[in-house]
Amino acid sequence: MIFFGCLLVLVLVAQIAELLIPALPWLYNAHVYIVPVIVFYGAMALPFPLMLALAFFAGVLLDALTVQVIGGRVEISAGSSILLYGVLAGIMHGLRPLFARGRWEVHCILSGVFTSLIVLAQYLMITFRRGSLVFTPEIWWQIGGPGLMAMAIGPIFFWGLQWLGQITAYSYGPERGHVE
Amino acid sequence: MSRTNIVALLIFGAILGYFLSFGPETTQKFKAGVYRLLAPFLTGGSGIKKQITSVRSGLKSLDELERENATLQVENRELRATNQGLRDVEHEVNRLRHALNYRERSVFKLVAAEVIARDSSSWWRTLTINRGKRDAVDTDMPVVTDVGLVGKTTTVSETISVVLLISDENCRIAASLEGSREQGIVSGERVAGGLTPLLDLNFLSKQADLKPGQKVYTSGVGGVFPSGLLIGVVKSFRVRELDGQAQLTPAVDLSHLEDVFVVTGRR
Repeated sequence: MIFFGCLLVLVLVAQIAELLIPALPWLYNAHVYIVPVIVFYGAMALPFPLMLALAFFAGVLLDALTVQVIGGRVEISAGSSILLYGVLAGIMHGLRPLFARGRWEVHCILSGVFTSLIVLAQYLMITFRRGSLVFTPEIWWQIGGPGLMAMAIGPIFFWGLQWLGQITAYSYGPERGHVE
Repeated sequence: MSRTNIVALLIFGAILGYFLSFGPETTQKFKAGVYRLLAPFLTGGSGIKKQITSVRSGLKSLDELERENATLQVENRELRATNQGLRDVEHEVNRLRHALNYRERSVFKLVAAEVIARDSSSWWRTLTINRGKRDAVDTDMPVVTDVGLVGKTTTVSETISVVLLISDENCRIAASLEGSREQGIVSGERVAGGLTPLLDLNFLSKQADLKPGQKVYTSGVGGVFPSGLLIGVVKSFRVRELDGQAQLTPAVDLSHLEDVFVVTGRR
């Protein structure tokens, strides 16, 4: 539970940090998303109910900080990020055996892909509201850029969280075995 | 799947359903509530960010000095760093004096605010400012600088507010042109490629003969923005099938905003 608590705090800190990190002008103003990396690590490390709780917490924060109510209209319904995080973290949770065998690279790549999927889903939702589905190179970079960044920072975060798990004496669960 | 997992999934689904049933008003309250909780962290984080940026720019200037003259003595470097610090203070004093002058001569009631965070996500162009309901700020209030229009407030909590920038596709402003009877609607682009976003001025007549550099102001139609606020200047004009469209360069440099004013009414 200490490790789970630490992950909740880290998600909160990362979400605030995301607001303060400027968009990357050399990557078509793509944003850096740290929270998905932490959530997806949690999805592999935590048991199913706690994984859902973490996904819920991250989804609530993302909804609260990004969803805009403009002119009495909500562009993306509150709860959509919770659903996205829940589904994607659930998929990641299903890949625990690979992680237990020490195959980090698959999860790092998937963290990136899933991060981009979150941004893509947001884009599709706002496009549905605003109309005119357009995919310019800038838009692809806005979608793909955060994923690439998540892949790049993934190994560092995974290593750090693995270390955090060790110092909090977190047991990774008998069904998955200990990560070497 | 174990019973615990099924129960967890059911609870997750039930709470998710509850969230999905939120209407605009509930969503607004929910957002404002979360912002109220996060306000101390956001304000604190913004302060730390400023300190880090200041240290980083200090180190950069030292690097440049080292490149220019490797023989500079330590004492000399210290003096230059101190000088730089004083210049920063002078710059800030000038900036605040400028802002104060603007507030005093403005016909509007203005609440000065500091930008504490910007662009919270990929698809919305927003700022977070350190003023809220406690400072008489409410939703749909125009936000300006001494140069021109910045945007309008959307979510307002007790101590912080979210500002939707004019460069956002959803921020639509009724506009009129300097020296012309043409009127149109200004909105931002969905995604800006460069650092400086451009604005679109739509629904102009095809005969509108706009010249680059022509100024565009708010027309006051719509109720949110008072008339006469500078939005930007015309960059180009093209005739489309049904109307004319101009591209504008925003009057305000939206990527480097530090201080803004919320228009809370007229004097």
